[in-house]
Amino acid sequence: MAGIRFESVGKKYSNGFHAVKDLNLDIRDKEFLVLLGPSGCGKSTTLNMIAGLEEVSDGRLLFDDQMVNYMPPHRRDVAMVFQSYALYPHKTVFDNIAFGLQMRKVPREETARRVQDAADKLEISHLLDRRPSQLSGGQRQRVALGRAMVRNPAVFLMDEPLSNLDAALRISMRAEIKDLHHAMQTTFVYVTHDQAEALTLADRIVVMKDGVVQQIGTPDDIYERPQNTFVASFLGNPPINYIDGAVEVSDGETVSFVRGDLKLKFAGETARKLASSNGREIRLGIRAEDVDETRSSGEDSLIRGKVNSVLPVGSDQFLGFDFCGEELFFRVGKDLDHALGENVALSVDLSRLHVFDKASGASLIW
Amino acid sequence: MRRLFGYEERSAAIFLAPVLAVLMGVAVFPILYSFYLSFFRIKLTRPNRTPFVGLDNYLDLFTNDLFWVSVARTVTFSVVSVAAILAISLLVSLLLNQNFRGRRVLSTILLVPWAIPYVANALMWKWIYDSGYGALNGILYQLDFIDKYMVWLGDQDKTIFLIANAFVWKEVPLATILLLVSLKAIPSDLYQAARVDGAGVWQRFIHVTLPAMKPGFMLVLIYETMMAIRHFDLFFILTEGGPGNASHVLSWHIYVETFRNLSFGSGAAMSYVLALVTFALSYTFIRSLGRKV
Ligand SMILES: Nc1ncnc2c1ncn2[C@@H]1O[C@H](COP(=O)(O)OP(=O)(O)OP(=O)(O)O)[C@@H](O)[C@H]1O
Ligand SMILES: [Mg+2]
Repeated sequence: MAGIRFESVGKKYSNGFHAVKDLNLDIRDKEFLVLLGPSGCGKSTTLNMIAGLEEVSDGRLLFDDQMVNYMPPHRRDVAMVFQSYALYPHKTVFDNIAFGLQMRKVPREETARRVQDAADKLEISHLLDRRPSQLSGGQRQRVALGRAMVRNPAVFLMDEPLSNLDAALRISMRAEIKDLHHAMQTTFVYVTHDQAEALTLADRIVVMKDGVVQQIGTPDDIYERPQNTFVASFLGNPPINYIDGAVEVSDGETVSFVRGDLKLKFAGETARKLASSNGREIRLGIRAEDVDETRSSGEDSLIRGKVNSVLPVGSDQFLGFDFCGEELFFRVGKDLDHALGENVALSVDLSRLHVFDKASGASLIW
Repeated sequence: MRRLFGYEERSAAIFLAPVLAVLMGVAVFPILYSFYLSFFRIKLTRPNRTPFVGLDNYLDLFTNDLFWVSVARTVTFSVVSVAAILAISLLVSLLLNQNFRGRRVLSTILLVPWAIPYVANALMWKWIYDSGYGALNGILYQLDFIDKYMVWLGDQDKTIFLIANAFVWKEVPLATILLLVSLKAIPSDLYQAARVDGAGVWQRFIHVTLPAMKPGFMLVLIYETMMAIRHFDLFFILTEGGPGNASHVLSWHIYVETFRNLSFGSGAAMSYVLALVTFALSYTFIRSLGRKV
């Protein structure tokens, strides 16, 4: 255990709301899978179906080829960390962590040993006599992790476990959760709407929107090769820039993007895929970091505009850039000095352009 | 430091003054005055001789047999009533916390007894228990449980329980609401966590529901105990302490002493004893239960 398979799974709530639609997903044994998407897209619903807290309405859910649609949570060998932590308020930290073992009739000495073990690992042994109300947010979070860990489950489910922590703690806990996954050697399914969390933690990411899977892939796939504009926009900070325009093929081999005065020459694979699309209306995507000022490569890679705003963000700065009345955001080195209203030309990394169909938003190159 | 009270304090004082004056007149003054009276032997049948007797009114109480009878009756009435109120309101609140068709209608109907004034409630039950045309007799007779009409309130062994029944009927709605509030406040993910942890229905009730209801339980316990110990209306309207002294509770004892025997001094002393006992009980409940919540 345990690989988890969704076969055309759908979830309809009793009020008729279709929260998850036709989900097909293979979660591999020992994988760290992240469900990523905006609020209300059905991430928690999907997780709750794995836990057995929500019934599957359509399709089949399998744990290692065994159908578990109707299996109650306590027989599934899953443990879960809730966004609110859901600690039992009247129980001590020890009893909170021990509860799952007590319910499973694990002998008293073994329970004590395992709770102590987990507490040691999470560095909360000195808190075992306290009540949840006497803990800080970060400590509660550890108790919630301990409660799941101690069970040694086949599947570890986490629903936005870090969203209630402050920024610094969130980043250090990310590393701990990654270590935990290494140490426990079990399947992790992790829900978040934070792209940075997803990119750092995941072996694979599932991006969802309105109950529909948009893309499944490694963090690299998702970031570098987004299959549609939704995925492309959801990841990246500042978000990816879009410019609508058309494909122009000249001399039968030079493939470019044209929009007014702007002309960008496609490179390599992209050029080949678009070679027969002369005149096609497309939406060009340029990631904020894929521009450069210092390197001046030929005229066919320059985008010109007026500086609208300059936002220093420590290591870099965000440049708000007015291009034909559209506001684009780029991330450039902080040593570059720009006055507001100044006209600049930025050189675009032509090998990293994204091309989407203008109407459907689907990628034309990946 | 020159002005102790600023503008805000002074305007607050002006706005509060009328209310405070009224409170002084109708609450604080009578309380203090009756405390003062409890040190005198005052009988309206002998209006001109009201000697100061110190603690005699209090000491005399404890040698009075009827006083101890009334204490026993009050204890019986309160324990039975409060236990029944707790049990019934627990069940009803658990029921109303479930989602089912008609829950709203049921909740509304359930509130009716709460809306009825105590005296009206007492008169209603007087009619229900009536030996000649009462509804209880009517129903039991038609269902063949009894073969002749009974004088329900005339039965020494049953009276106090029948009165308790009327009291419980009136009090359950409020108790239910208080418990329902603590039930509604339980986050649903606690139940989800317990399910994942392997707890069954009963274990979830024991480990999640009951502990969360403790504050509500405590509130009901304290409030209803105070109401039951001091309750008067039902005894006044249904039985006047009878038959014999079967429903001669403390509040009735005080009433008889004060307004029938016109012995204001000892009546005031008893009132103070009752108030002290009520206070002491509440204090103990809060201390002992409060620590475990
Ligand atoms: N019990 C329910 N009954 C009806 N609709 C529900 C229920 N629970 C959730 N939904 C709806 O299903 C959709 C998906 O909910 P879900 O909780 O899975 O979202 P989510 O992706 O976890 O969002 P978030 O990031 O805000 O937690 C939402 O639109 C929500 O309103
Ligand atoms: Mg959620």
